[in-house]
Formats: sequence, C-alpha cells, structure tokens
Amino acid sequence: MHEISLVQGLLDQLHSIARENNAKQVLRVTMIIGPLSGVVVESFEFGFDILSRQDDLVRDAKLEIIIPEVTYRCSNCGQEEVTSRARPAQCAKCGDRILIATQGDDLILRQVEME
Amino acid sequence: MCDVCGCHTHSHGDKHDHSHSHGHSHSHDESVIVDINRSLFAANDAMARSNREHFDTEKIVAINLISSPGSGKTTLLEHTIDRIGKEINIGVIEGDIETDRDAARIRAKGVPAIQLTTGGACHLDASMIHRGFHQLQKEPGGDKIDLLVIENVGNLVCPATFDLGEHRRVVLVSVPEGPDKPAKYPKAFTTSQVFLITKTDLLPYFDFPVPEATREALELNPSLEVMAFSATSGEGFDIWLDYLRDLVKTVRGKQPA
Repeated sequence: MHEISLVQGLLDQLHSIARENNAKQVLRVTMIIGPLSGVVVESFEFGFDILSRQDDLVRDAKLEIIIPEVTYRCSNCGQEEVTSRARPAQCAKCGDRILIATQGDDLILRQVEME
Repeated sequence: MCDVCGCHTHSHGDKHDHSHSHGHSHSHDESVIVDINRSLFAANDAMARSNREHFDTEKIVAINLISSPGSGKTTLLEHTIDRIGKEINIGVIEGDIETDRDAARIRAKGVPAIQLTTGGACHLDASMIHRGFHQLQKEPGGDKIDLLVIENVGNLVCPATFDLGEHRRVVLVSVPEGPDKPAKYPKAFTTSQVFLITKTDLLPYFDFPVPEATREALELNPSLEVMAFSATSGEGFDIWLDYLRDLVKTVRGKQPA
C-alpha cells in the first residue's frame, strides 16, 4: 500500500502548485499511471479519496486517471504487441516468452485544473 | 492493506521536491488549467541519485535486499558476515515496521547496524536511507564500510517501486514459498539484478522446481544473475560470497564519477 505515500506526495505538490497560481480550490487532477509502474489504480484512487477528504484545497477535486499503452517486443522475432492491459504471457506470433517492455512504468502528474 | 490510514506516511517524506508549473495555462471562466507533467517518483529518484553519488565518493557498494517476510534476509546476512566479515567491512541498515530485533542480531556479529522502523509504512525510501546512513556512520566501525547492505521491509510489492540509491538490487525467494513468485510479483524481478533462491536444504521437502523458477524469472528479466543456495548448510553459498567479493572489488576499483 505504498500508494498512500505517493498520494501524500501528490497532495504536497498540489498545494505548492495552487500557491503559485493563487488558486483556492483544485477542481480536477489528471494522472498518468503506467501499467508497469507498480501502482495499483484502485489503491491510488482509494488513497486519494481518503486523504483529499481531510484537505480543504482538494476536497472536491475530481481525479482523472489515464492508463497508457505499453509496447511489448518479442526478443525472438521482433513482433510487437501494444496493450494497456496485463503483460502478455507469450509472443502471439512465435510463442517466445521473453518480451521486452518499453515505457509503462511512469507515474506522472499530467494536469491540474483549479480556481 | 498496511498503512491504510496514512497516519505515518508524513514522517518519512520530509524532503518533497516541490514542482514548479512551467507549463502553459489557459483559462475557462474562472478556472485555470495548468500542464505539470512531473513524475511522482521524481523526489525519491533525485534523493536516490544523491545517495548513490555519495556512496561512490566514499567507495561503498550498496545492495538492497528485497523479499517477502521470512525468506531469510537476516539469516543470509548473519552467515555472510560470519564468512567474509573479516575481509570486507560490512555495514547494515535494517528496515522493519516495528522493533529493532534484526539490527540487534546483526550487531551481535560485531558489525555496525542501525534499525529504521517505518511505523506502518510498507517500504523504505531514499530519504530514510540518507538519514539512516549518516546515523550508521556514527556507529563504531561505521566510518570504514566497504559493503552497505540495506535489508528492506519484508514485502515483495512496494519496495520494488523505490530506488534507494543502491548499486545492486537483490531479490530473494525461499524454497518453502514456492516457485511462482516471479510470475506473481514481476516488478521485484524486473527491477533487480540478482535473484537468490534460498533455503535449498529444504528442497527434499517442498515442491520447488529450481529450473522452472529460474526460467520464469529470466523470462521477465533476461539479465538477472540467479544463484541457489542454503546459507545455513553452506551448500552453494560460495557463489554468493564470490559475487560479493567481485562486486566490492569492481566498485572500489572504479574512480568516483
């Protein structure tokens, strides 16, 4: 459940972003959570729900989550599979099981809407 | 779920990097939309880099041990100290949710050790290691460490996400846990350089096909170095000790960046 600490880090960032923009309220937070980031989306949402309730600045903020696609390249035949779902067990073309992932391990604060 | 109320998570993040919104903004009525595009891992990663640079300057090799609770991390350390503690100066940072029992076990071997108790948090982070290392340096023998071993909180999930500034990440699975850990907890294996299969003296009593576990781990991460041994019986243990000897030699021979 390291998601709670990550949400706490997010709230700290939101406070400083709001200060810089003279905003009193955060309306919307857009996050990019890669499928290989080690972050469970439901736990992140749960943590955001709990911690934002105790925080006037973000109490009514809407959390939007974008899950990007990951490209898995077969180490044997080079076949690529692009998916935002779970890691494929094997190459769809040759059946090899060593697939190299590119991207997908990001956890990024993309955009903030505030007033 | 551990740490679910979040009440302790403030304590270990005292150095949050605050983001600056350089992105362009546009207004809709009274609200403003600002592009940030900043990783939430950035603060920890920056602290981890600074830890690693510090270790390099002091010519210290740092390894981060990750496993489920009870895989034998502390026992591995005790036997490693018994075998090579006279030729390599070892220092240990122990991470646990509560108690300093593990640090006490290591100190009993005459090696400098400190305990970080996370008070509920499920992993160590780079700023805890920064503080812990300075504390360790004040312990007797803490000023001449060659090999720093960080024993992470027993957990195969959360620690995999946090770089501590280590040079090598080592993941352990013990024979009684079963061979399917790589498939179930891939991130611990994709981010590690070494995979240790421990307690091999128990192989006659458990269904643990070593080749299958090895193959599944290598499918996730083809560059993993895999070693299987029993620290208590000593069978196969020399491979691990030689690995550590080489690692210390390599890093100590390297000029600091």
